[in-house]
Amino acid sequence: MVFQNGTVALKDANLEIAPGEFISLIGPSGCGKTTLLRLLADLIKPSAGTIRIGGKTPEEARKSRAYGYVFQAPTLMEWRTVLSNVMLPLEVMNFPPPERKARAEQMLTLVGLEKFARHYPWQLSGGMQQRVSIARALAFDPQLLFMDEPFGALDEITRENLNLELLRLWRETGKTVIFVTHSIPEAVFLSTRIVVMTPRPGKIETVIPLDLPQPRTFETRETARFFELATEVREALRKGHGYEVTE
Amino acid sequence: MSLSYGPGARYGSGWLLLGLGFGLLLWFIAAWWDMSEPASGAQKLLIGLGFLLVVWGIARVAQQFVNITNPVIGFTPAALTLLAVVVAAEALLRAYQVPTGLIPTPSRVLSTLLEVRDVLLRDAYQTVVLEAMVGYLVGCSLGLLTALLVSRYVFLERGLLPYATVFSSIPIVALAPVLVKMIGIDWPSKAVIVAITVFFPMVVNAFRGLTEVNPLSLDLMRSYAASEVQQYRWLRLPNALPFIFNALKLGTTLAMIGAIVGEFFGANGQGLGFRIQIEAGRFGFDIVWSAIIVASIIGIAWYGLVAWLERKFTGWHVSFR
Amino acid sequence: MRLSPNLVPMLVVALVVVALYWPIMYLANIPAAQRALDTGAALPCKTAFECATQLRSPVLPSPQQLWNGFANLMFPLNSPNAIPINAAVTAFETLVGLLLATLVGFFFAIGMVASRAFERALLPWIVASQTVPIIAIAPMLVVLLGQYGVQGWLPKAIIAAYIAFFPITIGVAKGLQSPDPLALDLMKTYNANNWQTYLKLRFPASVPYLFTAFKVAMTAALIGAIVAEISTISFQGIGKMLAENSRASDVVAMWVIMLSSAVLGILLVALVNWLERLLTPWRRSSQVVAVPTKETRLATRGEVRS
Repeated sequence: MVFQNGTVALKDANLEIAPGEFISLIGPSGCGKTTLLRLLADLIKPSAGTIRIGGKTPEEARKSRAYGYVFQAPTLMEWRTVLSNVMLPLEVMNFPPPERKARAEQMLTLVGLEKFARHYPWQLSGGMQQRVSIARALAFDPQLLFMDEPFGALDEITRENLNLELLRLWRETGKTVIFVTHSIPEAVFLSTRIVVMTPRPGKIETVIPLDLPQPRTFETRETARFFELATEVREALRKGHGYEVTE
Repeated sequence: MSLSYGPGARYGSGWLLLGLGFGLLLWFIAAWWDMSEPASGAQKLLIGLGFLLVVWGIARVAQQFVNITNPVIGFTPAALTLLAVVVAAEALLRAYQVPTGLIPTPSRVLSTLLEVRDVLLRDAYQTVVLEAMVGYLVGCSLGLLTALLVSRYVFLERGLLPYATVFSSIPIVALAPVLVKMIGIDWPSKAVIVAITVFFPMVVNAFRGLTEVNPLSLDLMRSYAASEVQQYRWLRLPNALPFIFNALKLGTTLAMIGAIVGEFFGANGQGLGFRIQIEAGRFGFDIVWSAIIVASIIGIAWYGLVAWLERKFTGWHVSFR
Repeated sequence: MRLSPNLVPMLVVALVVVALYWPIMYLANIPAAQRALDTGAALPCKTAFECATQLRSPVLPSPQQLWNGFANLMFPLNSPNAIPINAAVTAFETLVGLLLATLVGFFFAIGMVASRAFERALLPWIVASQTVPIIAIAPMLVVLLGQYGVQGWLPKAIIAAYIAFFPITIGVAKGLQSPDPLALDLMKTYNANNWQTYLKLRFPASVPYLFTAFKVAMTAALIGAIVAEISTISFQGIGKMLAENSRASDVVAMWVIMLSSAVLGILLVALVNWLERLLTPWRRSSQVVAVPTKETRLATRGEVRS
């Protein structure tokens, strides 16, 4: 993927993802992981290569509402209540009005925020706002979930809690998740496979399958196998010069 | 939106439309130059057609200029728009044979402007230099001074600022007649009107700039053991510059308006506002328009000067990136 | 009800101003009073000092004169020569003008945001209309419109709109462009069309900017309405009262009218503020300008550590 100004963002990225997987893209800044996600979401077009989502091109997938996107910032509309924010995609996509409220309330219950339905975004903490954002992404029941460092702005403790929450959601809804992160423990904890990416030029260094048992809990983080896998990821990053400071 | 023919053809067709449209309008003006009967309905439709062609042409041509950074070349669509309006106005006024005492044609205004330029220049001197600029300088300096004091002393902030925000919603037009009666019909009364009008926005803006400072920067200054004065000099005043320039730009327009409106209430025979009022009463609208053009050019030039200074001194600000 | 800490300083300042008014008034009026006595006019007073508060055309009216003036001009309440009806007429012209300005402003703002070509062709002239003293056109425009049969309150409303549309255009344009790029991406992932993006994202985001612009526009529209009234033979309105009393050289009446129009201006802006609070319930209270306490001010001046 070459940007208009000539920067090579991503080269030779070849990847296949099966339904129901939880894939993490991990790497330092400049490795192209966000670019890859935006390519999948049809927010940018590739300069070369093909992408297929369930047999469709990204544009077709976007138009058939195949995926939900969670951004780094909650991106909630400050003039809508929490419930109204979750209903936004349903309005845009012309879901029948009686269904909208029901679905939105269902989603809020799923993320545990049903009591805050009539609050405004500014009244919620950062972690809660991000949960609303996730509820919104799931509201129209897409098969895919794209998440771009959704917990990046939160503190580590909240993050670990939300990781558990996310895994519960994943189990309960059976979606395919592609998750971008720059945190090794997060990637190891959440995924079924980790795609390690390195910069200059952005490429996929290696793909590591994770055999940690499901369902994962707090204790999973403290096992020896967890540490081994984290080390494997770190070594892969080092090999691809992910740790060298240039910018 | 995809095109079956390339962008080059589109832009070419834009210029063609422009040429056709302007040609039509100009031909009509030339043909009707000395006529004294109104044009027929068909001919008026022709003018309408000419104007539509021009507008369509500008819409196409303007696309070409969307990404040009050179300010002179990039101005072309705007210049074309002005030309379009002026030419169309000339054509329409002639077609309807509107009496020149009511609405003078652009060509007549220009010729009048050249005729009476001495008078207008003297008027402009009175209005702009003596009334507007003096009032502007006095008002802005006092405003800045007040803002400095109010930012320094909390008591003043609490006691004066609420009044300032309230006073800024008072229409200057109400002030003008009273001040003219108080101070006399000569230029100082207008200068006072201008000073009062530009004073309040300056206080409010400068105060914001002096006090809305990043608290971390203040911590930094403290770590340098900087004195109060040094803090102002190195941190608060530079931080306030964008806000101050905002008020300065706003002030140029307020100053012109204040001076002209002030003259409506009493002037001693000179001044653009005085000229406009007198001539409007006499139906001498060509002179009125000439005065307006002079006032406009001065207003735009003054604003442009302040904007240029702003770019020079605060080019680092977010709004310029 | 918690007392605002602004109260005491504001009262002190007010008292100081009031206390200074008397000496300044006497200082201003005595020369004029002396001149009046010198001309041998029949006045109900003997000395310049006494006359300072009795002048027909004082430089600064005394509070007594102002009080009398108010009584004269405010009552009877429904008299066409009294302030309330005229103020109402002017307010009506202003509000209609604001409405027209909003329509025009939205048209230009949406045009500029939707098409860069539109922006390139028109923005310089929209800015120029701000720097041109439009108020200069008012006398002429009113006469012109009168010739074509547009009489009464409409030409004044049009002029008010002419002056007020610029801040609204700029404010709404800024507001329409204010959403976060991420929010725009979000709409794209929903495959929302242009109209939906405007309706659900851009318009609501521009409401705060609209109200800020309204405050400026309201004052501008009021000025426009008054100037328009002054420029012609008007039968009603604050401007007409100003012109009348200016011709009659009734200084006290002019002061009273000036103060009343000041109150009108303040009330209209307060109206905008009230509307804003009503229509934007999502504004968090922390966005209200915090009342400065001594601690926060000293803290921002780096002197107090918590």
